Amino acid sequence: MRRPTLVAVAAGVALAVVGVLSLTPAIGQTPKSGGTINIMAREDLAQGFATHETSTVATSTPSLPCFSNLVFFDPSKKTDSMDTIVGELAEKWSWQDNYKNLVFFLRKDVKWHDGKPFTSKDVKHTFDMVRDSPEATAKLRISPRKDWYANVEHIEAPDPYTVVFRLKRPQPSLLLMLASGYSPVYAAHVPPAAYRTGCIGTGPFKLKEWRKGEFIEYVKNPDFYVKGRPYLDGIRYVVIVERGTRTAALQSGQLDVAFPGETGRTAMEQLKKAVPTMVFQPVAQNVSDNIIMNTKKPPFDNPKVRLAVGYAIDRRGLIQAAHQGGAVLGAAMLPKPYGVWGMLEKDLAAMPGYGKAEDMKAQAKKLLAEAGITAQSPLKVEMSVRAIAIYLDMASFVINELKQVGIEATLKQIETAQWHATATRGDYQIGANLTGLGTDDPDANFYENYACGSPRNYSQYCSEEVMKMFERQSQELDAKKRTAMVIDIQKRLEQDAPRPILAQRLDYYAHWPHVKGLVAHNNIYNFSRFQDVWRDK
Amino acid sequence: MASPATVELPAATRALIARPGVLTVLGRFIRKKPLGAAGGFIMLAITVTAIFANLAETHDPIATDAAGTLGAPSAEHWLGSDHLGRDVYSRIVHGARISLIVGLASSVLGSFFGGIIGLLSGYIGGKTDLITQRVLDILQGLPLLVLAMVMSAALGASIHNVVIAISVPIIPRAARVIRSSVLSIREMQYVEAARAVGVRHLRIAFRHILPNTVGPFIVLMTAQLGSAILVEATLSFLGLGVPEPYPSWGRMLSVSAAEYAQKAPHLVIFPGVAISLAVFGSNLLGDALRDTLDPRLRGA
Amino acid sequence: MKTYLAQRLGIAVLTLVGMSIVIFALLRFAPGDIVDILFSTGGYVNAEERKAIMKELGIDKPLVTQYLEWIRNLLTGDLGKSYRYDQPAWDVIRPLIPVTLELAALSIMVAVLLGVPTGVISAVRQDTTLDYVLRVFSLAGLSMPAFWLGMVIILGLVTWLQWIPPVTYVGPRENFWLHAVQFGLPALAVGYRSSALIMRITRSALLEVMREDYIRTAWAKGQSEGIVIWRHALKNAILPVVTVIGIEFAFLIGGLVVTENVFNLPGVARFLVQAILWRDYPIVQNIVMFIAVVVILSNLFVDMLYGFLDPRVRYG
Repeated sequence: MRRPTLVAVAAGVALAVVGVLSLTPAIGQTPKSGGTINIMAREDLAQGFATHETSTVATSTPSLPCFSNLVFFDPSKKTDSMDTIVGELAEKWSWQDNYKNLVFFLRKDVKWHDGKPFTSKDVKHTFDMVRDSPEATAKLRISPRKDWYANVEHIEAPDPYTVVFRLKRPQPSLLLMLASGYSPVYAAHVPPAAYRTGCIGTGPFKLKEWRKGEFIEYVKNPDFYVKGRPYLDGIRYVVIVERGTRTAALQSGQLDVAFPGETGRTAMEQLKKAVPTMVFQPVAQNVSDNIIMNTKKPPFDNPKVRLAVGYAIDRRGLIQAAHQGGAVLGAAMLPKPYGVWGMLEKDLAAMPGYGKAEDMKAQAKKLLAEAGITAQSPLKVEMSVRAIAIYLDMASFVINELKQVGIEATLKQIETAQWHATATRGDYQIGANLTGLGTDDPDANFYENYACGSPRNYSQYCSEEVMKMFERQSQELDAKKRTAMVIDIQKRLEQDAPRPILAQRLDYYAHWPHVKGLVAHNNIYNFSRFQDVWRDK
Repeated sequence: MASPATVELPAATRALIARPGVLTVLGRFIRKKPLGAAGGFIMLAITVTAIFANLAETHDPIATDAAGTLGAPSAEHWLGSDHLGRDVYSRIVHGARISLIVGLASSVLGSFFGGIIGLLSGYIGGKTDLITQRVLDILQGLPLLVLAMVMSAALGASIHNVVIAISVPIIPRAARVIRSSVLSIREMQYVEAARAVGVRHLRIAFRHILPNTVGPFIVLMTAQLGSAILVEATLSFLGLGVPEPYPSWGRMLSVSAAEYAQKAPHLVIFPGVAISLAVFGSNLLGDALRDTLDPRLRGA
Repeated sequence: MKTYLAQRLGIAVLTLVGMSIVIFALLRFAPGDIVDILFSTGGYVNAEERKAIMKELGIDKPLVTQYLEWIRNLLTGDLGKSYRYDQPAWDVIRPLIPVTLELAALSIMVAVLLGVPTGVISAVRQDTTLDYVLRVFSLAGLSMPAFWLGMVIILGLVTWLQWIPPVTYVGPRENFWLHAVQFGLPALAVGYRSSALIMRITRSALLEVMREDYIRTAWAKGQSEGIVIWRHALKNAILPVVTVIGIEFAFLIGGLVVTENVFNLPGVARFLVQAILWRDYPIVQNIVMFIAVVVILSNLFVDMLYGFLDPRVRYG
């Protein structure tokens, strides 16, 4: 018998060592400075960098690198909540007077990109403008989030580094709204219209060039108030309108990072097959598929008919059909572990449309029969849909579902230019809709989408009782009690069914492995400052 | 003496002067112009499919199927299924209907109105002709697609608006062709003779000149049909074309095909082949018709 | 010649004025305007604010006033302000023009280099298998949607090579080869289509000329086929070919619209689509007028060239 040679033994040992080493996870690598990355953008900026004048991720996300908030959600934590709020322009903050006054102590070392110093005046200017206060020093052309600050009575800037938000009544949610990607701080010495063409912010990157329709290029801000950041020398958002070309660019490496919300499940599978090392971070978008129904006109003024619609649509079927599994069940608020206010599994299971499909449809038919709608005398309606793939996919599935319970819906395509006007006017019966939440907060959701008279309450749903429930939870200071109230409200909303929620969308946020330090959030609006991101090669 | 009416002609002579039957004409056409015949066959196949779409389909074109998304061509789905599980073959079959309807309607409409304008403008001549030409110049000054895009955006998305949007740019092109045809016929002897005898202008225009423009008109229409189908597909691809729920080959390519193309290349291949085949067929047919009906236009 | 030129230019101006009215009117017909789009990016609608924005953009004035203002500004070189970008339209459009012109020029080159030789071969070998194959090949180019061809190219490249041409503009001085590919591929896609028509015209024009007496005389005299073709036939077949090239240039622009989109080239045509979707009237109007001017000028140029090349045609 041959004795194992020394060489063989040495080789064996070497292999074993290598084996062990490869099993040990790479211990925290040290970030390297330098390099640039290219990020996907599916359309050009809607109104430049004027985040306060738009409600679209197409403007707010590419503007994030330029701006800073008072407070922001910790970039390194996936799920946004009150506990992950960190200071950006504010060093410290504190609630006074039982959540009626919010005091911020601001950093003293911050400079605007044009060199001027940042003070409390900028904060007061920004939020007075956003809430359309009579004492505002400037006016926004449109302010979609005016209602977020409806409860603010007065903003004071007693000294250059202190700001006080005085509220009419307690509202802990205010902090969550200020932490949203939709709440950057503008400079008081820059007219708001200037943000439509350029960007003067305090953020980690300075705007170098915005070539219309082509790209948005940023360079490192050498005077950034966090020393040693950002790591990258520059970032570039590249505008590619064609879907196929966009995906091909990411796959071939011309783009390093996808755009939040752009990578569905099938796209992910395709990318993974082509580039096995591609990194995917599955997160919720905090954007929901939902159905809006006009509660002021027949037939959907009848709550039984609306509830029937809620029952008829098999949520799990939609997730499979329209998203290939790339979405999760959830009602108005994002469910755990993606968000903190969502309904629990057991609660959801009891909601209309979440049980067994046949049972749900039978229930729907029963409700419709009470309203005189049967297979022999079906209900004919028009479903208004925006001419965009994700809306159309959802609508196709829903129409099929409704057909099975006796509601014959025909698709009516509405151009983007007319969608909001049509919906706000109530010029529709039923529509396929997507709702994105700028921050995972019940106030932001309820007041925008379900409050009487809110312009985005397309269903024109108005219930005094439910409004009182909104008010109560908004002022509730005990987190546990408040969560219970919010869950009750969600149950109620699914029963009243002005806007049945069909699914909460997922994103398989994709980026090449050499991009490090990038953490996607369960909300497409609240991450992408890129200040902690670095390139490995 | 036998009267002319009762003269019995030998069979051979009779055969020579007899008007050829339809089948003979067709046979001759197929032999002389095999490419044109192929084109005609393609168009016939597409037309039949379009008319009998409900019979030709294997599935409901809008029925979704969560379990069978992005399936490759199989016995169940002849041309595969799309990202919602819808049958690609059935959608292409129904898309044929739309492409043909829009293509035919716009090319017929555009050629018809353009033809009338060209006929009158060419016949009347003088100042009317001059002004009409300038107005037509304006419409023709823009590339077909650009004008169709602007018109489609201006009118809004609906199937009749798309037809109008595509037919408007065709009008000046049709008018041009018919007008030049009219100009040459107008100078012919028999027309001058008719005028000399005192036949009214309108009668001359419609009785003598119009029938002779039928040839160029048919050629024109088939030529425009190909363009119309292409423009419809392009408009749909850009999002300015036929709206949902009408299936459209162009929209099938824009909405999801490119995104899933690597997993399901059939989504990109089949609608594109359908469009190309339809345009190819109509071009082949148009060419052959032109060569047969109006040799003067050969090379135009 | 001079009076003819003056006449043509005069007519051109009239045509342009007419077009400006048509475009202006058409766009205002469109359902939804820039204010609607602004509100849709904001996610809500408000009547008061709508009035204020209309006033700010100057679109609350009567249409005739707006039209006259536009024309007056145009004559002084002011192309107006983009509704979307809040910047002078010229500043927004200017960097795009060289890209489109380069792509158009390359496409025409491809079309001619592909179309003329195939037309000649097809004519000379008329009715042979080669003729049929070439005719089918060229007709296929005319039948394929330009956007589909572009899509297939990009998808093929990424699937088999894991590589696509650059998605942001690369200048010829930065990296010549990358620039060449970036423009070459789309030029091929667009050019292939245009080559079809050029091939057909070349073929039929050559066929006509080859039947002429003087050609047959040359043959009878014993001159080689090559010389006969090149020196006599082609020279005279040039005319209709040149005409078609001029016509094709205008037709080309339609192909550029989708190709620029698919290959992500920052040109005028791609921008036009976005501007239409955004109801950015100043941009749409200016680009459309620009295209009209290019088309009219190219038609004029072709007619002049025609007159130059054909001694039988003289414009008095």
